[in-house]
Amino acid sequence: MSANRWLATGNFFTTYQEEQRTFITNLDRLIFSIFLLILFTWPIFFPLNRTYMLVINNILVAVIAVLGLNLVTGFAGLISIGHAAFMGIGAYTVASCSRVLGDSHILITHFWPILILAGGAAGAITGAIVGLPSLRLKHLYLAIATLSFQMIFEWAIKFLTFFNQGQTISVGRVMWFTGEIGREKHYVFWYYVTIILIVVLGFGIRNLFKTRYGRALVAVRDNDRAADAMGMHPGFTKVYAFALSGFLAGVAGAVHAFLYKGAGIESFTLHHSITYLAMAIVGGLGTLNGSFWGPAAIQMLNLQVEKFSEYAGNYLPSAMNLATALRPFTFGLVIVLFLMFEPRGIANWWRITKSYTKTWPFRY
Amino acid sequence: MKGNELKVKGLKGISQIAITLVVGMALIGMASLANAGGKVYKIGLSLAITGPTSDAGNPYAKGVEDYFRFVNDTKLLGDDKIECTIKDDQYQTDVTKRNFEDFLDQGIVFYLNYSTGSTLALKKDFDEVEIPVLPASFHAGNVEDSKYIFLPIASYSEQTILLAEYIVKNNKGAKPKVAMFIHPSAFGRGPVSDLEKAVAAGLGIEIIEVVEHGKDLDNTAMLQRLMSKGVQYVLCQTIQSPVATMLKDAARLGLTAKIFGEAGKITFLGAHYTGGNDLIDLAGAGAENFFWTTSYTITSEPGAGTDAQLSLAKKYGRDDKAANSHNYANGVMVAQVATEVIRRAKEKGVEITKKALYDELNAMNGDKAYQPPTTVGPVTYSATDRAGVDSLQIYSVQQGKFKKIGEPITSEFIKKIK
Repeated sequence: MSANRWLATGNFFTTYQEEQRTFITNLDRLIFSIFLLILFTWPIFFPLNRTYMLVINNILVAVIAVLGLNLVTGFAGLISIGHAAFMGIGAYTVASCSRVLGDSHILITHFWPILILAGGAAGAITGAIVGLPSLRLKHLYLAIATLSFQMIFEWAIKFLTFFNQGQTISVGRVMWFTGEIGREKHYVFWYYVTIILIVVLGFGIRNLFKTRYGRALVAVRDNDRAADAMGMHPGFTKVYAFALSGFLAGVAGAVHAFLYKGAGIESFTLHHSITYLAMAIVGGLGTLNGSFWGPAAIQMLNLQVEKFSEYAGNYLPSAMNLATALRPFTFGLVIVLFLMFEPRGIANWWRITKSYTKTWPFRY
Repeated sequence: MKGNELKVKGLKGISQIAITLVVGMALIGMASLANAGGKVYKIGLSLAITGPTSDAGNPYAKGVEDYFRFVNDTKLLGDDKIECTIKDDQYQTDVTKRNFEDFLDQGIVFYLNYSTGSTLALKKDFDEVEIPVLPASFHAGNVEDSKYIFLPIASYSEQTILLAEYIVKNNKGAKPKVAMFIHPSAFGRGPVSDLEKAVAAGLGIEIIEVVEHGKDLDNTAMLQRLMSKGVQYVLCQTIQSPVATMLKDAARLGLTAKIFGEAGKITFLGAHYTGGNDLIDLAGAGAENFFWTTSYTITSEPGAGTDAQLSLAKKYGRDDKAANSHNYANGVMVAQVATEVIRRAKEKGVEITKKALYDELNAMNGDKAYQPPTTVGPVTYSATDRAGVDSLQIYSVQQGKFKKIGEPITSEFIKKIK
């Protein structure tokens, strides 16, 4: 390790522990601390209106979901096309409580953190069950198994009266130490909740990869027979990858239900599953920071395309409905372009930028 | 000399200051004159301009936009203007929610919503911010446990029950066997339980089957099944495209009744969003003898209302498809109601706020009922009446055009089951 704990040029480690450090230098730690401080304080100094806070919250909820998807698809190499359904499990866990107990029951208003964890737990259990076919199936066949879960989920929600046949089930406002979180503070409050969740879960995943359980995910992805020969259990690893991914998706879904004050099937369809997959690909599969870049990039792109197609809708002939086609066309194009020219996603740009600053002002 | 120069310089300085002051005052005066041009009342509309159901949303948006332009251009509110922001939500509730928050940030006093799903999902938000809302959805559930949602016309339930009453009145022979063909959502399912209640209350039909359609491109099997069960009438509560597919299949199989209630054949009937010119475009000759109900006047039955609709569309350069759409009329009508409540509140000299407009809507009854030219009856609201136009007109397709059948009527059984 470099003698200077504040600056380090290049990679030089004398122990495995040094290489596994979350922050290589004190400067890294300081920059991250400042970044966190900014994340927690900017809404106080630069308050945004509710619309933009909702957009930001949407991105943050997607970050939690894509962290989960990246675990199962990026790190463990198991394609999942049912991620929105796992989110839906979390959301409908909260919504079911609301339906049975009433949307302003004390469990929802006061014990909402427990409900968020319950959403995660429900997602984890479902993930483990859906992950069982991964003991026998691989690649595209496994993808089809997760797709069928998505279909079953949508069908069940749309046709069971308990779930209001897919129409929104209302979830009440929550309480904090200062009292009920009203309209004015709603989005700022959920911004802080989501940020805290992301920090905790992000560090959790970062530390997971320092353990044998985390490394087993990557080993099974790269070669499950070799991993088996090395003493790992590929079957168990795959199932627990799905369970972990389901937990994160469930947490994201539960937060979504509280954020939107309700859960409806419209937010957890196949289209959303594919969008989360696109976020993971564009951000960078198998990278932790890709889970942050992808949702931000896709959501911002979505907003711009939305504005453009709305504008185009006023001028393109309505009979042909060309404006409707602009959104899927743009999404498809972005994913294809990323796969062609930057398959490692935006995370790779971040890696290049970091390695450049590491050696600066030297070229090598 | 020096003294004179100083004097001249001093005078120059004073005159420069004076000119600056005069110009400044003039600018301030002009600015205040500009402000005196009138007030601006903000309204928001979120709907599907693209995505699912945009075939209805697109002309609807144009109707709203054109009428508010007309209000401003012709100074219907004097110097005051209506500023209506229209945003596309692609028929997604999450996007509608974002649009609604955006409108609230802009300070709207009246809100126009679109889909059943988003109206139900945002119901609590409307109550929280106490804003009057006119949705494009006529789902009866919209107004349950809600103070601020007002349906523009009779609910889908009322439309369906009225069609069932029409069947009972005109059916010859035994108790008519009816099937329902509905959209797989709250929009489609809403009237089913209400119709069942009406049957329980004595409406003389037998509901044989309720079919929730998918995205089938062929309905042969379903139609044959209905025939085998002796179904004579199919009541549709969905959008135009699945109805058109079914009508084409029925025509191909020779199952469509040539006259209402023809024995051994099926007569098709539908509520507001099943019909209109788009249905004829999609189903072609298969649409012949399709029976449809709505509270709007339609351009194939010319009158003062449709003339006004067509001239408005022409004034703002709309194509024939939009100009003749009943959804364009639908958009014009909600804009007319919003304008009317603003006009009435202004007339009273009260400040235009959400509450003032809400109060005006609730007072719109009796001799204060409002008669827009685009509907077949007056718009009435009160604290207990949340459906605007209660009268419904039945139309049927005759030689490729929707034609009126009789005069506007109201449902009897809807009152019994309320």
